[in-house]
Amino acid sequence: MTNETTTEEADAAVAEEQTVSLPDRADGSSSQSSARNVIETRGMSIYYGDFLAVADISLDFAKNEISALIGPSGCGKSTVLRSLNRMNDLIPTARTEGEVNYHGENIYAEGIDPVQVRRTIGMVFQKPNPFPKSIFDNIAWGAKINGYRGSKSDVEDLVREALEAAALWDEVKDKLRESGYSLSGGQQQRLCIARAIATRPDVILMDEPCSALDPIATLRIEELMLELKRDYSIVIVTHNMQQAARVSDKTAFFNVKLDEKGMRTGRLVEYSPTDQLFTSPEEKETEDYITGRFG
Amino acid sequence: MTNAPDINLHFHQELDALEQVVLGVVDRAEQMVEMAVEAVTTGNLELSKQVIDLDDEIDRTYFAVHNDWVHLMARFQPLGSDLRRMSVLLHLNNTFERMGDQCVNIAKITKFNAGLPRVERIVEQIQEMGDLVRPMIRAAIEAYLRQDIEEARLLPAMDQPVDRLNANMYKEIVAVGGDPQQLEWATKMLMASRALERVGDQAVDFAEQTVYLITGERAEFNEAGLDGSADDDSS
Repeated sequence: MTNETTTEEADAAVAEEQTVSLPDRADGSSSQSSARNVIETRGMSIYYGDFLAVADISLDFAKNEISALIGPSGCGKSTVLRSLNRMNDLIPTARTEGEVNYHGENIYAEGIDPVQVRRTIGMVFQKPNPFPKSIFDNIAWGAKINGYRGSKSDVEDLVREALEAAALWDEVKDKLRESGYSLSGGQQQRLCIARAIATRPDVILMDEPCSALDPIATLRIEELMLELKRDYSIVIVTHNMQQAARVSDKTAFFNVKLDEKGMRTGRLVEYSPTDQLFTSPEEKETEDYITGRFG
Repeated sequence: MTNAPDINLHFHQELDALEQVVLGVVDRAEQMVEMAVEAVTTGNLELSKQVIDLDDEIDRTYFAVHNDWVHLMARFQPLGSDLRRMSVLLHLNNTFERMGDQCVNIAKITKFNAGLPRVERIVEQIQEMGDLVRPMIRAAIEAYLRQDIEEARLLPAMDQPVDRLNANMYKEIVAVGGDPQQLEWATKMLMASRALERVGDQAVDFAEQTVYLITGERAEFNEAGLDGSADDDSS
């Protein structure tokens, strides 16, 4: 496994940690949204230049639930995920239409600070991307550059709390000054989750967080997700349908549709309670995909 | 079914093969019902032994199916209708094995009743129950093979006369009177009646599994042939 962090991921990781101050979660700020939902997309379409990547997505993500996005390669599920905290803004040609309402407030509305959005709606990436710093500083440094002005003991408490929440504290408490790169892949991913937690987000987005991990490390992350959903709402993109079945409350299945010009656009096929989607899906397209009768 | 290419072909081939084995067991059980009723009503000990031997085969198949089922689950972790079919096959493997056990229960009475005086009325009633139960098994098999919900829903109605005959058997035994040997024979035949009634229930259970396989809805048939949610406490 490589520890190289791509420029895009590094930018995004920094962007997600602009500050550790508690975000305004806008709880109940709008009568338009259901109090149960943290994010609601309405007619969301995402373009890369002239290319329509995903079309007309309307999805509700409920508070303290894990929602999974599944589908074949190229169906746009990662694009949808990255639109939920304006991570797509980092791609120059990307353009989002429609609404992504966070507690009723459209995060794409004029005047909304995307950095604030990414702090409130954090992201964990496919490949663990710790900073080239100590385990302690992976959390504390992000806090400091984001304006955290707590005392030394406050910072230590912050680091400990984040590592405990990410189920990593017991494994690293005696080597906090060692490099984050000294950890195993699974530990690095939990360190990244701890780093995201340290900014006190409301929602955590996870883009295939276990695809670079072995089965044991994967199970630990899955266990962690189930713990985290008590305090956070989680949206996960995964290629592993069994993982979606194990951890999520609701699952959205996306598929690729060809238009008359041969353009491949991702569309939402079905969004159902996970138990239902994986045993008795409503749509034949979903059934064909989950049983492998798919081409 | 679908015209989409099957990228899970090996799993589906193995699942089809496993299904054939399980359905082979219920075919055999249907045959065993006929043999067991024939044996117990005619006192044919050789036929009775054949039923017991056939059940040994069913027991071996039961374990083999269970083993294959576990391996299929571990290797492929199926979802959707494949998962429902796996669930149904595991359930049916158990149900059909118990059908075989009931046939053995009937066949063994042949030996216990050897030399005891028969009561023709009771013999005829056991034969009638056998004649009612075997078509139930056949109808349940056909409903499964054709994925026919309507045919599956017929099973509870087919089971009603079997239940009535079983309930009536007590009266027949009381009517036997005071001959101890005839009473001993008749009491054993009550066990045969009860076993046939259970086989009828198992055929209904088979049909309920077929409905679940097709619809994804767990349902339990009531006597009218309609079904209620299996999750409903009142059912």
